[in-house]
Amino acid sequence: MKDIVALALDAASAAGASYADARVVQTRHEDISVRTGRVEAIGSTESLGVGIRVIADGAWGFAATADLTADGVRSAATQAVALAHAAATTRREPVALAPVGAYRDTWTGPCEIDPFSVPLDDRIALLLAADEALRVESAVKISGASLGLLRVDKVFGSSEGSLIEQSYTESQAGIVAYAIGDGEVLPRSYPNSLGGQAVQGGWEAILSLDLVGNAPRVGEQAAALVTAAECPAGRTTVIIDSSQIALQVHESIGHPTELDRILGDEAAFAGTSFVGLDDVGRLRYGSEHVTVTCDATIPGSLGSFGYDDEGVPAERDFLIREGLLVGLQSSRESAPAIGRVSNGCMRADGWNRQPLVRMTTVSLEPGTWGFDELVADTEDGIYLETNTSWSIDDRRLNFQFACEIGWEIKDGKLGRMIKTPNYTGITPEFWGSCDAVCSRDSWQVWGIPNCGKGEPMQVAHVAHGAAPARFRDVQVGVGR
Amino acid sequence: MRLSLADARALAARAIQLTAADEAEVLVASSATALTRFADNRIHQNVAESDTHVSIRAVLGTRVGVASTNRTDDESLARCAAAALEIARYAPDDPAFPGLPTARRISPVNRVSAATRGFDASRRAAAAAAIIEQSVERGFTAAGTVATSDQAVAIANSHGVDAAMETTDLRATVLSMGDGAGSGWASFLAADADAFSPEALGDQAATTASRAASPTSLDPGSYAVVLAPEAVSDIIDFLGYVGFGAKAFAEGSSFLVSHVGDRVLDERITIRDDALSAETVGLAFDFEGQPKGPTSLISAGIASGPVTDSYYASTLRLPNTGHALPAPNPYGPMALNLEMAAGDAGVMDMIASVKRGVYVSRFHYVNVEDPMKVTLTGMTRDGTFLIEDGRLTNPVRNLRFTQSAVEALSHVLAVGRERTLVGPGEGGATLVPALLLEKWAFTGQTG
Repeated sequence: MKDIVALALDAASAAGASYADARVVQTRHEDISVRTGRVEAIGSTESLGVGIRVIADGAWGFAATADLTADGVRSAATQAVALAHAAATTRREPVALAPVGAYRDTWTGPCEIDPFSVPLDDRIALLLAADEALRVESAVKISGASLGLLRVDKVFGSSEGSLIEQSYTESQAGIVAYAIGDGEVLPRSYPNSLGGQAVQGGWEAILSLDLVGNAPRVGEQAAALVTAAECPAGRTTVIIDSSQIALQVHESIGHPTELDRILGDEAAFAGTSFVGLDDVGRLRYGSEHVTVTCDATIPGSLGSFGYDDEGVPAERDFLIREGLLVGLQSSRESAPAIGRVSNGCMRADGWNRQPLVRMTTVSLEPGTWGFDELVADTEDGIYLETNTSWSIDDRRLNFQFACEIGWEIKDGKLGRMIKTPNYTGITPEFWGSCDAVCSRDSWQVWGIPNCGKGEPMQVAHVAHGAAPARFRDVQVGVGR
Repeated sequence: MRLSLADARALAARAIQLTAADEAEVLVASSATALTRFADNRIHQNVAESDTHVSIRAVLGTRVGVASTNRTDDESLARCAAAALEIARYAPDDPAFPGLPTARRISPVNRVSAATRGFDASRRAAAAAAIIEQSVERGFTAAGTVATSDQAVAIANSHGVDAAMETTDLRATVLSMGDGAGSGWASFLAADADAFSPEALGDQAATTASRAASPTSLDPGSYAVVLAPEAVSDIIDFLGYVGFGAKAFAEGSSFLVSHVGDRVLDERITIRDDALSAETVGLAFDFEGQPKGPTSLISAGIASGPVTDSYYASTLRLPNTGHALPAPNPYGPMALNLEMAAGDAGVMDMIASVKRGVYVSRFHYVNVEDPMKVTLTGMTRDGTFLIEDGRLTNPVRNLRFTQSAVEALSHVLAVGRERTLVGPGEGGATLVPALLLEKWAFTGQTG
């Protein structure tokens, strides 16, 4: 792989690139999906290729190929330079990159038990057992269990002298029960919706979820949702569980603080941001309880690496400190717009994609409350768990989320169950209404392996640390 | 460079020979794609990719395994075939598995354009510049894409299926952003680049942006709406995603369940899937090599049934409509070429008939809150206007909606006579007219 990188860099230079980097990436996926007693999909996928990014005539060009012969790599490098020249026809200022050191290093993510080495029949048996254990009640008409494994090996090299080898393994698993009531489908998932929990790690991470042991409770809750109360419509206090806080952070803090969005690069697809360049150091994003970091150094997180995909070392940085916006997620090209160097957020979805500013682990830092203490302190409200629907506007202001399940809070105690509660709000008002965040005891990093951005579409694997938090005067029961 | 069609077919045949299973199926998809992306009135990404994907489905009795690779040398193909076979050996028996399908006649459709193939980096850059110019002339900022796709797909199996086809398409989008929070959008999608006018596309978006300047607030509530085709496509796509597939039908989570033959939508609504339409893009066969054709889903408001693949056709005892996705497929069959029948109304006629309502150019970030009622939430974007006394008056700030699509499409006042192809290309798109709906629930607004 190093030889291919060297060949690509030489070819790009020979073709006239003033800067070049190349990534050779090899991926291996294995996925198993079980649905209501049937193994509906087992698949294995391998992919290998090189992506070559160049600056020529002051503009970017990027070409990717799976043809790793010398001619194939040279051809892709030449094509990347030609693409840069074509892009330069509309440029105003030449691309300028913030400085970064030249690194020769290796980095490997954590993995105790290689999940690919676990016999396939053991993996299938685990999912079938969990799937069966979900169907404890007749109201559960559909059950599902899934498992996904990913191994990534990549080599990055740049014309500035970096040569970085990185390898990591990801493991994901989850279960879901669907109760079907009178004209409604009611999901209940564990440990999270949309495929469960995903981490950098091995089979030990799958086992730690205890899918089979948790399945009966999940199935019972799904069945109970059929007769649960409808979500009341109105404004109330909400306590949101950590997995939903993770998605709330993702959509309403993670994306709007991506510097490329703020600069308009995503305007036509994902949108822009309500955050402006001048807001850093000035914008009151949330209450004093809201401190948010982006951190690529958390062991086991989907958002962690040694170096990002333009060779910037992983780091931990503050985005919001006690409610005040203090930083943004950036790249070598974008960071100078706020007078900084890159904080290492450029990531690409494989060899065939140009890196974009992507989240690493963007986390709501823990507060001081115990969960039981927080509920006891809440006179009237709703506690919500586990996302089932999400939507936010193109400037990341107006959001609406629905959760699988909720419980009324009355006089400091959890009361009757509520089916599919939803809530809506405006980003700074919502985070400004946060008056409590639970402590590290209930703080957890949640993997989100399905973050879409960019054209051509890129799906990033990101993560968010979160603990349950309380928000006042939130609109719930929208459209109910 | 992508493989030629002949080479793709030969590769599929070679992989079949390498797979020592009771039954074997191979999908080869070889593509050359390019995308020129612009923002802030300049090209900021200019990318190209070539790749060949080989997927092998091996069957032992009723046990199925799938493996895929993008390496096409003999050793890699043999390893891929062995991996598929190994998975099949461990997979449990699936008594409902009907076996791989046999060959059926596929209607030939030409989806290749020399003009699209010749739309190289310099032409994409020139097109982007022409689009941008329409915004710059008005003092606006443009962002968008000009993208081309050229692919060869071959699907073969051990029962004689030998389906192969080349496709091209060109897709372009533009967002024009003016002063005072006004913006406009336009998109183009077709197999043939000769039909593409960058200047017209840029002008359409910039004209909307001009009209959308300085939007005002509007109280949320229930309004009559005129939905432009881009907005209608979102609604129809979600009907397809959660309602028209046989898996949702079989599991009881589709709004069609127990209603085949019943009126489920307004009689003005007719929806079918038709990959053979001259106006659409994509393949004439599905990913099992089975023929696609016109498949009725809603006929004058009456539900016809779901789309199927070989598995669900067998288990539900329905015809195989040719809607398989690539194996392994946990999503079930999907309609990728939905189209709504045109009506007889012009958009201006629709607007003229509304006393007070809202015109929606497009939606943003739509998601499902309730799959059985197809209750959706999302935002309006890039041109939302108040309709008063039969004419567009003020642009309004973006609105959030929370609305059952089934309910909304049960109260249709008019269907547009012109249709627009909307979608990502590369295999699917939605052909839709504008709609006038009696009521649409706007539940919030960005301040």
